[in-house]
Amino acid sequence: MSDPGRAKVDSLGEMPPQEPAAAAPTGLPVGQAKSMFQLGFEVFIQNKLAIVGMVVLVLAVVFCFVGPLFYHTDQVTVDLLTTNLPPGPGHPLGTDETGYDQLGRLMVGGQASLTIGFAAAIIATIVGTVWGAIAGFFGGLVDAVMMRVVDAILSIPILFLLLFIVTIVRPSIPVMIFVLGLTAWLVPARLVRGESLTLRVREYVQAVRVMGGSSWHSVLRHIMPNVIGTVIVNATFQVADAILLIAYLGYLGLGISPPATDWGGMLSNGTAFIFTNYWWLIYPPGILIIVVVVAVNLVGDGLRDSVEVRLQRR
Amino acid sequence: MIGYILRRLAQSILVVLVVTVIVFILLHQLPGGAARAILGPRATALQVAQFNTANGYDQPLLIQYFRQLGEWFTGNFGFSIKLNQSVSSLLAQRLPKTIVLSLLSLVLTVVVAVPLGIYQAVRRNRTFDYVATGLSFIFYAAPTFFIGIIMIEVFSQNLGWFPPEAPQSNGVGPIFEQFDAMVLPVVTLALLSIAGFSRYMRSSVLDNIDQDYVRTAQAKGASPQRVLYHHVLRNALIPIITLLGLSLPALFAGALVTESIFNFPGMGLLFWQAAQSSDYPVELGVVIITAFATVAGNLLADVSLAIIDPRVKL
Amino acid sequence: MKKLRTHGGIRKKTFRIFGSIAVVLLALTGCSSGNGSPTATTASGNAPGKSADTATFADPPNTVPNWIWPFSPLANFSVSNSSDLQYLLFRPMYWFGNNGKAEVSDSLSLAAEPVYSNGGKTVTIKLKDYRWSDGTSLTAQNVMFWYNMLKAEKKNYAAYTPGQFPDNIVSVSTPDPKTVVFTTDKAYSQQWFLYNQLSTITPMPDAWDMTAAGTKGDCATNESGCAAVYAYLVAQSKDLPTYATNPLWQVVDGPWKLSKFNADGNITFVPNPTYSGPVKASLKQFIEVPFTTDDAEFQVLRGGNTIDVGYLPTQDLAAAKSATTGPAEAGPNPLSANYQLAPWFLYGVNYFPINFNNPTVGPIFKQLYFRQALQSVVDQPGVLSSAAKNYGVQTTGPVPLYPDSPLISQTEKNNPYPFSIAAAKKDLTDNGWTVNAGGTSVCAKPGTAAGDCGPGIAAGAKLDFNLQYASGQQTITTAMQSLKSNAAQVGITLNITPAPFNTVTGTAIPCSGKTCTWQMGNWGGGWVYAPDYYPTGEVLWETGAGSNSGSYTNPAIDKLIIDTTTQSGTAVMQAYEDALAKDLPVIWQPNYTYSLTEVANGLQGATVQNPYSAINPEEWHY
Repeated sequence: MSDPGRAKVDSLGEMPPQEPAAAAPTGLPVGQAKSMFQLGFEVFIQNKLAIVGMVVLVLAVVFCFVGPLFYHTDQVTVDLLTTNLPPGPGHPLGTDETGYDQLGRLMVGGQASLTIGFAAAIIATIVGTVWGAIAGFFGGLVDAVMMRVVDAILSIPILFLLLFIVTIVRPSIPVMIFVLGLTAWLVPARLVRGESLTLRVREYVQAVRVMGGSSWHSVLRHIMPNVIGTVIVNATFQVADAILLIAYLGYLGLGISPPATDWGGMLSNGTAFIFTNYWWLIYPPGILIIVVVVAVNLVGDGLRDSVEVRLQRR
Repeated sequence: MIGYILRRLAQSILVVLVVTVIVFILLHQLPGGAARAILGPRATALQVAQFNTANGYDQPLLIQYFRQLGEWFTGNFGFSIKLNQSVSSLLAQRLPKTIVLSLLSLVLTVVVAVPLGIYQAVRRNRTFDYVATGLSFIFYAAPTFFIGIIMIEVFSQNLGWFPPEAPQSNGVGPIFEQFDAMVLPVVTLALLSIAGFSRYMRSSVLDNIDQDYVRTAQAKGASPQRVLYHHVLRNALIPIITLLGLSLPALFAGALVTESIFNFPGMGLLFWQAAQSSDYPVELGVVIITAFATVAGNLLADVSLAIIDPRVKL
Repeated sequence: MKKLRTHGGIRKKTFRIFGSIAVVLLALTGCSSGNGSPTATTASGNAPGKSADTATFADPPNTVPNWIWPFSPLANFSVSNSSDLQYLLFRPMYWFGNNGKAEVSDSLSLAAEPVYSNGGKTVTIKLKDYRWSDGTSLTAQNVMFWYNMLKAEKKNYAAYTPGQFPDNIVSVSTPDPKTVVFTTDKAYSQQWFLYNQLSTITPMPDAWDMTAAGTKGDCATNESGCAAVYAYLVAQSKDLPTYATNPLWQVVDGPWKLSKFNADGNITFVPNPTYSGPVKASLKQFIEVPFTTDDAEFQVLRGGNTIDVGYLPTQDLAAAKSATTGPAEAGPNPLSANYQLAPWFLYGVNYFPINFNNPTVGPIFKQLYFRQALQSVVDQPGVLSSAAKNYGVQTTGPVPLYPDSPLISQTEKNNPYPFSIAAAKKDLTDNGWTVNAGGTSVCAKPGTAAGDCGPGIAAGAKLDFNLQYASGQQTITTAMQSLKSNAAQVGITLNITPAPFNTVTGTAIPCSGKTCTWQMGNWGGGWVYAPDYYPTGEVLWETGAGSNSGSYTNPAIDKLIIDTTTQSGTAVMQAYEDALAKDLPVIWQPNYTYSLTEVANGLQGATVQNPYSAINPEEWHY
């Protein structure tokens, strides 16, 4: 029930706890899983806010990845003669302090934010799930050691880890994915561990053991599918967290190296110009971050509800 | 129960030790090392070598670590050459600031988020609930530096209601004399956690409203108020208490971004600056305190959960 | 646990609410900013310190004074310690910065300019009639106290360079209480000896000659007695909370006394009524306040009711000033309602080092043609006019182009390597490189003959480098992006990475061997000539010098540097300067203002600023 997400981001001191991800779903027979997923899907599409979130996400992806195909801008060459131009002909959203077209930059920055957000969440989820499942399934000493490792890493201020890594490796998009992924896996590890602990004692897992099934087989075949709902819900929140976390890193000067950028880096850059009122450098990235993070959270909420309904109808 | 606590305590100490080892090793891998960072670019190779000898930085890491460990056991956190102060006097200056800021914002969070969450749950799916949910989604998604800067712009520079910086006097007493200056930083720090906590509270209350014991109580003829406050609230607060326990480390790690925006140098900034300048003693001092706070928070959360919620067995 | 939430009835209302919240947020902030013009600050009527007759000074972000004894160890040798604390209380023997010019100030110095005799080897210094605040006179003994301390503890003094002061002193005598005579081992440049050697002396009062509270030491007369005094004074310097109360530090010869000292940087000074200098402080208090970031400082400055002398972050200037105005002239000031803008320049040069000793790319850096090509893609005028809003000057060699001085040579004024993509391209193609604009250029003609790439550069070698720069400064960030973009046009790939300032200075250090792998490092500030006020290169570019970050070496330059320290006059300086400007030991970049100082309307005497970062609040008055 504890929410390690809180502890994880506390070294940044600013991020609030996540809403609890799926509250401990109890085990269900594997054979019924598919129909349960269908049921969940039905619930999901009934959730209009979640659908809106989904649509917003798709639009954001289209804007960032397809947009540049139609809206060509030079995001490589610096033009010091056209810096900080307000929106106008040729530059619908103006230019930034190095003369890059802001609209084009939002697309490039969005690619980074979305890629990092999703990829880091996937890495964190996979690593965390495997770690937590193993710890929870074997229990005992294995569990104690594995979970104390999680505790230890959680106790190291994340800022210190990030500062360290960013100092020794050049912060590119893949590096950021790796770094954020490897600091975020602790949360799913704890969640999954908690669930597999309860699953471990369930009859059907016990039955597999009695029938001589191997431990690994049990983990993969029986425990994983049962925690998948929780994990997916948590993963969506991880996406939102990762997008916000790179924003903080950008603010602290540890973001992706220019000329690459992300929305967070653009926003923190833009906030320097609040007095000179270059609003086009502040509000577009700020609003995009908020809208996308809200959308991801809406989808997460929707997923959680469908997971739970699926379980309740059991 | 006692056995469990003792066991966890032993494990926790082990975890803190592991953390210090990891941090110690990482610290010494940073390029340039302490000597360069502290002596600056003017230092000659000879001066660097002398500095390293004088501070024992030229000895094998293992020996340095155990010497450091011995110092910690005697309560000596060392001396920051960079800041020309002992680490304990630095902590004595910074910790009160951080604790006041974090505690006030935590109090504000609880005072606002708990009633808000309850009210939202009771009046769910009405206009108020939607507004509050919408706002909490937005504040949850907005980076603190963005909120903080907008706060200053609106409430300090334009409306002139509050000063743009936190109280500057030393010590805790004067902070309360200049309470208006504390408003913006506390609110900025609290907004995100209010957003998170109120969502948490709302769903927690909704969870409990539907529980069997509530139905029983209603069937027995308890008044709606009594059911709400006596039965539902008590149970709904359990996750909040867990969260509060886990928020403990935040008191120590501090709120870097808020501190820096509002010119309020607390632990967060101390840590950040030490990390940037390879100030080993300060860095280790903060990490060890944070690590202790984190494990203590985890432990406290688990234990209090066990005490409050009889269903949890340790 | 189960959860019951109603899903079906999500109403349009919610969407409207989301939308309206966004609109409200926008309106709140939008109305603040109007339509394109910066928010006008309201005049607060009175300058903050006017009624109380005090001045509040904003310390630079993230640095607070923390070492009071002028005999600073390297770790505590900083602008904030010397300029914002020590100099206000304890005056160095010679004061540098004269009405904004980069020269010695005869009126603020404690001694007359030195007289050289005996072929330049005897240096005679006459002290002026100054008094310490405990009533004693400033005497030759006070100078000897410093000199003995320096001899005994030279390895603990930040500005000591082996072979230089006091190593180059053969004997010293004090024929009378107001005269000190140094005899040097050979004749030195008179300018250099005054500006870079005698400049480090700060006379110390007899009251400091102690080995414990109440126990007299004898360091002033006997070098062997200095170790015990040193230990005592260092211990006192490490006790920050007692700075304002310790009787030691109350004995001052400067215009101010410490009245309140907080380790967090809140410091209050009160006038020293017995100050013997030309101008006694007229303000009742001089107050320093610390800031975490320049943004935080600016938010307070904007309010106009706390800070009397602060600074404007460059990014908060909307309009550039005219490019034809002098560097220190002010342009449009967004805070003109309350403040007067006074750009502050330090006597320094800005550059970033490249690592000649890097095992892989060092051979490329050793080629002058490559350095020329790289220097030619640095768009100094472009960066100055856009990011720096024209508050800055170009750097073209080791002598700063501002403030103006007779040392500046014609070569530097003409700029041997102005911004030119074409010139850079020619440099590379003429020397055996296939230039791939937008890609990475490769060496096509390896070898050591004319027109070849040069020794140690293999066929197919690439112009692909890592450049780490200090994060957090808008101008540097923009300049680095501009450099990367320009360099790409001649196929020089620069992988630019922001990193904390200390990481950059900790990485870009003189080194050798296999682990010497950094390539380029830009901490953004180059070098300020203080307290080595004469712009010679013995600590910067001489082979093996301590601050020769890139391990640059050139025997011809070494000889010219020795000339500048041993021969007086400007001719040797200009010879050195021309050779170095052409040889590019580092890559020059624009020198930005040290600060865009904002002085409260009505505060007099604060707009002429010291080119070595000292402040003279005793000259300020309402």
